[in-house]
Amino acid sequence: MNESTNEFYNVYEVFSKKTDKSPFQHSFSLLAPNADMALIMAKENFFRRETVADIWVVKRENIRGLNQDEREMLKRLDKQYRETKGYGYLKKKWRDYNQEQFTEQHILGGRGDNS
Amino acid sequence: MTVGMSFNQLSEDEKMTHFLDRINAGEKIEPDDWMPEDYRLQLIRLISMHGISEIMGALPEKEWVPKAPSLHRKLAIMAKVQDEMGHGQLLLRVAEDLMAPLGKNRHDIMEDLFSGKLKFHNVFHMDAPTWGDAGIIAWLVDGAAIISQSMMLDSSYGPYARALKRICAEEVFHAQHGESIILAMAEGTPEQREMLQDSLNRWWESLIMFFGPKSAKETGNSNADKNIMYKIRTKTNEDLRQEFFTKYIPRIWSLGLTIPDDTIRFDEDSQMWIYKDADWSKFKQIVSGNGPQSQNRLDLRRRSYKNNEWVRAALAAKKAI
Repeated sequence: MNESTNEFYNVYEVFSKKTDKSPFQHSFSLLAPNADMALIMAKENFFRRETVADIWVVKRENIRGLNQDEREMLKRLDKQYRETKGYGYLKKKWRDYNQEQFTEQHILGGRGDNS
Repeated sequence: MTVGMSFNQLSEDEKMTHFLDRINAGEKIEPDDWMPEDYRLQLIRLISMHGISEIMGALPEKEWVPKAPSLHRKLAIMAKVQDEMGHGQLLLRVAEDLMAPLGKNRHDIMEDLFSGKLKFHNVFHMDAPTWGDAGIIAWLVDGAAIISQSMMLDSSYGPYARALKRICAEEVFHAQHGESIILAMAEGTPEQREMLQDSLNRWWESLIMFFGPKSAKETGNSNADKNIMYKIRTKTNEDLRQEFFTKYIPRIWSLGLTIPDDTIRFDEDSQMWIYKDADWSKFKQIVSGNGPQSQNRLDLRRRSYKNNEWVRAALAAKKAI
């Protein structure tokens, strides 16, 4: 393989948002010689049918992701004290006082759309 | 894995156990995860073959773009050809990430295709002389592909499963495009019906071959078994072929078409279709590059790769940003 094919094939990661309200999501990756070509290819490869509001392309070598060792660390973290899951026992407690536990909507001041 | 211990400190055996535990728990393996060498090699073999088959598979259909019988058909078959190329792009990307640690990239995949080292699906070595073939390819060849691809939607290798999810979404269009063509012909003039029947006759053995031989006995090849162990796939070749029969034979018969195998029937006792098996030595010949269109299509691919070389060189010269 020669130098020029190496230079031609760069990996770009493609991110997109479906509507202007949605967050960016990883779509897939592709090979392109530069960012402009990567955008054209992204549109042709991934959005022939799907609606799309915006597209980002990022050269893969510019992304610092986690390696497997670091990812394994994520799994072991117990964060129940940070989550509502860790406070499930409150429901029964309140019941002892003849009270319903506040739902997330109650706590947020009734800004939820139902009841 | 012991709490507090770094993954990197595990021995190779412990990594292997950890890997098998993960796939058995339904976790997905990602490109830079540790994986046993033969898992990597199985994936490269399967996915590069799948990817290059999508690209070679666009060629028999592309022949029909200029000759499609109406503007609507022309647009639809053009869209399908474009989709197949897109599927090839997705899959080659998955294969390339697996090959990167071996120092290989897309250029090597193309070279392996040209040298005959990398095989593509038997069906894409065949002639597609009539519009009936365009219909049968989209209806039954894609129908067969959908069965094997949707089996792997839950593959243990994350990027492959994600690529297949995108691919299967578009296959629904391909299947309906095929149904639309064959139903128009089946409801058409006697000549059109005859043309459709001819195409079915031409493609039937290729469709039997599509899923591969029954077991390791015929080829001495146990790739399918290995892929099941690694949860890359979940069903055997024969499971898939039987599924294909159950799905499509009643439809073929409902249109008054004849399957060119007078032994074919559903056996109530074994709950299996009994059929005339393909000639597997012929299959070997075909996939080794000796099918009726093998060399023509490879030449077309070689020519376009060579003719576009200057484009790659010119774009590579401008340093990527």
